[in-house]
Amino acid sequence: MNQPEISTLDRKGASKRGTLSGQSLGLILGVLPLVAFMGVFFFWPLWSVLWSSFEDNFGAFTLKNFEVALGEPYRTAFSNSITLGLISAITSAIPGAIIAYIIESRGSQKLRQFIASISSVLSTTGGVPLAFMFIAAYGAEGSATALLRAFGINIYAGSFTLYSLAGVIFVYSYFMVPTMVIVFSPAVHGIRREWQEAAKNLGATTAQFWRRVGIPLLFPSFISSLLLLFAAAFSAYATARAMTSGSVALVPLMIGNLVDGNVINDQMNLGKALAMGMVIVSLVAMIPYLLIQRRASRWQQ
Amino acid sequence: MVFSKLKSLPLFLTLLIAGLFVLLPLGSSAEFSLRQPTKQNHGFDNYVWFISQPEFGHYMGVSFSLAAVSALILLVLLVPTVVWLNLKGQKLRPFVDFITLMPLVIPVVALAIGAQNSLPEFAQTNQFILSFLYAVLAMPYAYRTLDTGLKAIPLQTISEAARGLGANWFRTIVRVITPIIRGTVLSALFMTLALSFGEYTITSLLHWDTFTTWVTVISQANVMGAIALSVFSLVAIFIFLLLVGLFIKPAASQVAKEEE
Amino acid sequence: MSNSPLELKNVTRRFKDMVALDNLNLEVGSGELVALLGPSGCGKTTALRIVAGLDRADEGQVLLKDRDINHVPAHKRNMGMVFQAYSLFPNMTAAENVAFGLQMRKVSKNKRRDKANELLELVGLPSHAHRFTHQLSGGQQQRVALARALAIEPEVLLLDEPLSALDAKVRTNLREEIRRLQLSLGTTTIFVTHDQEEAMAVSDRVAVMNKGKIEQIASPDVLYNAPATDFVAGFVGSMNRIHATKTGANLFLIGRTVGAAKNGPEVEGSVTALIRHESVRVTADAKSDIVILNRSFLGPVSRITCQLLNGELIHSMMPSAESANLRAGDRVKVELLDKELLFQKA
Repeated sequence: MNQPEISTLDRKGASKRGTLSGQSLGLILGVLPLVAFMGVFFFWPLWSVLWSSFEDNFGAFTLKNFEVALGEPYRTAFSNSITLGLISAITSAIPGAIIAYIIESRGSQKLRQFIASISSVLSTTGGVPLAFMFIAAYGAEGSATALLRAFGINIYAGSFTLYSLAGVIFVYSYFMVPTMVIVFSPAVHGIRREWQEAAKNLGATTAQFWRRVGIPLLFPSFISSLLLLFAAAFSAYATARAMTSGSVALVPLMIGNLVDGNVINDQMNLGKALAMGMVIVSLVAMIPYLLIQRRASRWQQ
Repeated sequence: MVFSKLKSLPLFLTLLIAGLFVLLPLGSSAEFSLRQPTKQNHGFDNYVWFISQPEFGHYMGVSFSLAAVSALILLVLLVPTVVWLNLKGQKLRPFVDFITLMPLVIPVVALAIGAQNSLPEFAQTNQFILSFLYAVLAMPYAYRTLDTGLKAIPLQTISEAARGLGANWFRTIVRVITPIIRGTVLSALFMTLALSFGEYTITSLLHWDTFTTWVTVISQANVMGAIALSVFSLVAIFIFLLLVGLFIKPAASQVAKEEE
Repeated sequence: MSNSPLELKNVTRRFKDMVALDNLNLEVGSGELVALLGPSGCGKTTALRIVAGLDRADEGQVLLKDRDINHVPAHKRNMGMVFQAYSLFPNMTAAENVAFGLQMRKVSKNKRRDKANELLELVGLPSHAHRFTHQLSGGQQQRVALARALAIEPEVLLLDEPLSALDAKVRTNLREEIRRLQLSLGTTTIFVTHDQEEAMAVSDRVAVMNKGKIEQIASPDVLYNAPATDFVAGFVGSMNRIHATKTGANLFLIGRTVGAAKNGPEVEGSVTALIRHESVRVTADAKSDIVILNRSFLGPVSRITCQLLNGELIHSMMPSAESANLRAGDRVKVELLDKELLFQKA
């Protein structure tokens, strides 16, 4: 809604607030509470992590923390976490995109709203309850495992176990797929019927429409959604902790171990360096995500 | 209701498979939680067990109060800010959008480490520091919800009408604007509550104890009990948020439709 | 064996609880621009979509050069369609949009590019070839859409309310251009609209539709001066409805006798006479019983609303210069300019 700004002019036409700096003052005051809050509880803690990651045990500048962070076992942990992020993202993005497409294109308005509500709720599952739910259902004595076995599907036929990287990916999908549905649906929704009809009218088959118009339009959104999923899977802590309790090396878990004192390292600030590593990986994923989202929303109006 | 357009086979299959995928773990774990191995039957023993734990009431209380304070913080902080943003602060919109998106971009673990590292002594020993941190985590969702809701009403016109009739800004926001966006505010509030209640990462890394960390602890003592508790909390939050989503959001959009 | 390139024969289309097209028959001549005019829900868009292949008739035939194309899929029909809005592909430039149909027909890249530029010039946008949709105004987008439809040299051009989403000024200009282009290219065209002025301004013939049927199809002149039904009379132009008494071949109303239209209903006694606003003239007369209620200045013409002795209202549309001295409250005498009046049952 584009409405004119409230007039700050009095009857004689002179600016009530005085000069331009008066208006700027108003802007600053308005946003001050929020900025102060985020400053104290978000940016300041982050800054301190950055700062401390370069401090040694005595407060002097050092790169040792990062040296250790890039060596073993942390290097494997990073590799595992990134792998986890990628595989989890891809295996959840594809079903999520398909679901989003089918619901958007063939579902009624009510159905779409219903799915949106449910997906929104499911995307918040995580942590301990989620881990236990899966252990209960798909563990060796779980009833879902038994049910599947009744249908001839034995999930433990290979070397699969819930308490591995594969298991974590499996559990993550419970909230990753709904997240994909939420994040990708607006893009699908934006594909107008008129484009499909116009394409048909101009001689394109359905496949040609998707190849020339539909997929080019959806592809950036798909990639950006994938990035978001990656960041989520990479950074997740609670669920991984509940499921693996140390058997799989993941960066968040390593940081947790350092904090809890389960693992002692000479470098007191190693945890901060690892945390900075996580921040960097996350930014690498999220910055393109934000940029693509901004461009894509242009045609989605 | 929702099945009126079910003539499409792909739609039906998709809903079926997705539905199975969602409900199977829920149903199975519910069944698992009802098992009573010692009695060789099913029953509510596990549920009775955890409810009767003395800590149950205590930790529910702790988590609820932390969540409530967190929601309060966000509302008091965000409602005036978003109102201001939509009325006079349009220029700073990109900036605010960016700031409120930050908690999604940075891993929670990093924030937890930072909080532990930077916050002063008195903050570290008061449990309510968690409320402030929960508020930071919920900020992206709460802000987006409130902003969308406020954009959908003729805010400028209503404010000018209220002010023209003699209300000052405080009155305008509290008595005029907030009731109109009641649905949106409730939605943001409940989202924050749910998020705060279920938060684990910051809580455990800062060595505090709430409902979520307690579940981990009792799982050492009684796995079945912990599983029952998990099922209970999942189902409870699901139903809670679903009700909120289905009943509250339509109210907010109804106002927008009537205004069109 | 007919000469028309396009014919709809006994076309019926039913939706869940209503009949959208009721045994519709329409013949469009070669190079002709026929407008489908009517209120919302009359079936005009449904008819167009059936011709395009985006919808299928339940009964009847769609004949293109005497071939039934009812079962030919939309993408094989070689008809160019312009939608109301938002139909340009946002991931392509204007030129790429225009060339799309040719790309589907496997025309070479160079030929496509040349043809696209040629058409963009034809619609007055030669320098906009590299612009994307969000960089074009509404009017420009519709021109590109038009160019895109014409690029494939369609058998029939189908326009679905192409101007409805545009500003008034842009609308008037663009409709003239569409007509100009259509005439110079000789493309058989169907133009769907709910705006009667638009339909009358550009068409060779106008089909006035109501509830799935064509009430009358004729040239704008005939439609205006000799409406076949009172729906058409009411929809096209503005009509006064005045109580009259019919005896034989005459109507008696407002204190005088006028001829009754020869093709009117076979009734006697109480009828309703239909008189166009511009067929009524008023001049000042202090002794008359007829009073002016209101005068609306519309620029070159003014509409003067008067009240008759029996309370009925009659509107007169006169040049503003002639009616400059008339005011509300003045007494006037009414002059009917037509020798014969249309009428309907009371």
